Amino acid sequence: MNLTLKKHEESAINEFDQVVVGNSLTKDAWRRLKKNKMAVIGMIVVIVYSLLAAFAMFLPIYPYDQIILDHRHLPPTLTKNAGTLMMEARLKDLYFKAWKGGSLIVTEQQSAKIKTWIAANETNKVWDFCIKEGERQKQAGTFTFSAADQRTIDRLQEKIDTEFLIDVDKMFYTDGETHKKHNLAKMDWEEIMVIYADLLGVEAAIIEEQVQEEVRTQVLNNYKASTPDLSDAEYAANLDLELQTLGEKGIASIAKTNLLGKIKTSITRSAERELKKEISEGTASFPIDRSIKINEFLDAEITATKKHDRRYYLGTDYSGRDMLSRIIYGGQVSIAIGLIGSLTSVLIGIILGAIAGYVGGKVDFILMRIVDIMYGLPYMLLVIIFMAIFGRNIMNLFVALAMVSWLTVARMVRGQIMSLKNSEYVEAARSMGASTGRIIFRHMVPNSLSVIIVYSTLRVPAFIMQESFLSFLGLGVQAPFASWGSLVGDAINGMTLYPWKLIFPAIAMTIFLFAMNFFGDGLRDAFDPQSKNQL
Amino acid sequence: MSEQVRKPLLEVRDLKQHFPITSGAILQRQVGAIRAVDGISFDVYPGETLGIVGESGCGKSTAVRSISQLHKPTSGSVLFGGIDLVKADKHTMLKARREMQMIFQDPYASLDPRMTVRSIIAEPLVIYNRRGLLEKPMSNLEIEQRVEDLMERVGLSRLFKNRYPHEFSGGQRQRIGIARALALNPKIILADEPVSALDVSIQSQILNLLSDLQKEFGLTYIFIAHDLAVIQHISTRVAVMYLGKFVEISDAVRLYDNPLHPYTTALLSAAPIPDPVVEKGRQRIILSGDVPSPDKERFGCYFYDRCPRRMPWCSCHIPPMFNHEEGHHVACWLYDRERDYREVSLEEAQKEASASQVV
Repeated sequence: MNLTLKKHEESAINEFDQVVVGNSLTKDAWRRLKKNKMAVIGMIVVIVYSLLAAFAMFLPIYPYDQIILDHRHLPPTLTKNAGTLMMEARLKDLYFKAWKGGSLIVTEQQSAKIKTWIAANETNKVWDFCIKEGERQKQAGTFTFSAADQRTIDRLQEKIDTEFLIDVDKMFYTDGETHKKHNLAKMDWEEIMVIYADLLGVEAAIIEEQVQEEVRTQVLNNYKASTPDLSDAEYAANLDLELQTLGEKGIASIAKTNLLGKIKTSITRSAERELKKEISEGTASFPIDRSIKINEFLDAEITATKKHDRRYYLGTDYSGRDMLSRIIYGGQVSIAIGLIGSLTSVLIGIILGAIAGYVGGKVDFILMRIVDIMYGLPYMLLVIIFMAIFGRNIMNLFVALAMVSWLTVARMVRGQIMSLKNSEYVEAARSMGASTGRIIFRHMVPNSLSVIIVYSTLRVPAFIMQESFLSFLGLGVQAPFASWGSLVGDAINGMTLYPWKLIFPAIAMTIFLFAMNFFGDGLRDAFDPQSKNQL
Repeated sequence: MSEQVRKPLLEVRDLKQHFPITSGAILQRQVGAIRAVDGISFDVYPGETLGIVGESGCGKSTAVRSISQLHKPTSGSVLFGGIDLVKADKHTMLKARREMQMIFQDPYASLDPRMTVRSIIAEPLVIYNRRGLLEKPMSNLEIEQRVEDLMERVGLSRLFKNRYPHEFSGGQRQRIGIARALALNPKIILADEPVSALDVSIQSQILNLLSDLQKEFGLTYIFIAHDLAVIQHISTRVAVMYLGKFVEISDAVRLYDNPLHPYTTALLSAAPIPDPVVEKGRQRIILSGDVPSPDKERFGCYFYDRCPRRMPWCSCHIPPMFNHEEGHHVACWLYDRERDYREVSLEEAQKEASASQVV
């Protein structure tokens, strides 16, 4: 201990002649957090996940909602493309049928083994065995497919070789007089309408009428979806109102989207024709990235890829959507719900709990009775009712979950605040003239942070779980959107046949939750200067 | 004494602090009150140290907290710089608080464990700076500088400013508490048993620091302790408290030399003397019974139950403060010069009491 009075110096200098700079709890907490390896790893994982989720649309992954029915249930692979997998699946099926039909001859023992596998519902083993044995026998020349089977295989092979996907990236319109190129996406809808009419060779007025009608139907359908159970007359009356609220601009943007979609379709169709011709001539080499001319005014930049050349590193789901991108996009929803949900619930909880605990008396009594009543209500039911009343979108899901989940935090914070209220340092702060807000948020809340942080990091998985439960009930995230919960929920059905659909979202979720817990522990230790775990 | 000449810095008049006892779950009603402080009056003059002494639970700490308005007093007035703090609004109160700071008993509990020493000492400055109540606004750098100066002044190395309270010993922590109290340049410091939680050797360091600071900054202290030696060492005047009331208030020297009130005599006789020869011959006055519960209203002397020199009169008459000699006040009927109550019987006393109540 250094009790001797030092000579007055300009600033504090330690024994190594370094200037000691003033510090605060947050700075110090950050310093301590940095020293905790697990917490840093956890933090990095959480940040990486959040960044991946936030910038999912810029990642080079397949669209999460593109359904390719040929690619259903493809297993995860690093080397094979979708075509190979499709062929494998077909071969497995055919060899199995051949074994059943008796044309694939196996030994008695092997046959018995297959039967026990079938009895035990171990389909994958049966298929694996059949394809291995079949391929071996085919190589040896002891087995050949029947003519019908061979035809099926050939047809599939042709399909794999020839099918392709076209994406129209940009469409350009060349002005007949000035020969200037215009990007179609940046033009007014009236202009696009004229171009489209030109393309079809009909009067612009007919197209306009058609577009107007389409917009009306679309708005009406949206309205019907959001508020069901009205009579036709009411719908008709409300339609005009809806259109009015949309305004000129809204209607124009809908019309433009529709028209662009139509032009895109027709461009795709003509590009398809062109490419098919090239394929049959054998001149096409994929992937194709080129500009094609539709007519003298219109041309487009297209990319075409072989449909069955796709690689699904994490497999596909029941409608042929890429699991990898679904997991990443699902992370968007799950992480947002986990973080935002627990953040809002903790904020509400801290504020109300602190008020109840600090003010005490009647305020405390009333607030706590409200909490009691809300505890008493089955709270999933509250969420469900809320979602049913205010509509099923993700924002409402946040609100509904946050609304009912602050109760425990409020209780906890109240208890903490009450126990800290009479401590001497709070009294000291009061004697220094600190305001109530300062006392609560500078003294009491930091001193109850350890409990709050641990609790709120534990809330994150709970929120993700609740969200998945709601999604399972059909109140949460709706297809084609995904969340980890809904992915896992969807995967339960074919768990033994297609385990990857369950495993990958589950792993993604587990890693995130682990990271979250380590990060939370680290935060708790960092905010506690007396912590034993400090370094 | 120059009491008449000098203007008191702090005037406390008939200060009462009753804590209600309530019952009932929803509709709470008051069924009684703990009379922690039951009408105390005293003046504090600039530059002096008023020691308040008394056994545990007699209301010393509550008295100090009532004076600094940490508890809103039930009644009475606290005049500080011409302002009655009991009736003052928030803003005036804040202004007055700048001049009146506290040092707390437990150096382990009175410092926020999650704040660095720097934040703790800077807190009053930050608060008053933000509210614009400082004489002149301070920049962050100036606050930093002031914190470092204060740390040096109370004997802490400025290198420790980024440390947390748990890294310090009790004495060092109390120094932090003192530095915090000094931050706003107060006129009066209310010290609530600042040394009772400390080691004896550290106690003297802290006491010496306090008296050095007093000389340097011209501070006034109200100093609470239950240790008579500590009080004797630091105080210029001493008030003895019993059951929420002052029983005797006097210059320190006179009180220790010539205690008047039976309670004071008993209290002083209970203190051991650090000299084995004298200690052997020490006469102890042992009081019978315990301190009564302060939840009843009393009509007689508060010390009546345990007083070795009680008279029937005392049971039904509350003694006022008698001015025994210059600067020595005592609340005991024995020292009323106008009348000798020793001969008054209980019946007479009660009759007079009821008569005075009617009046």
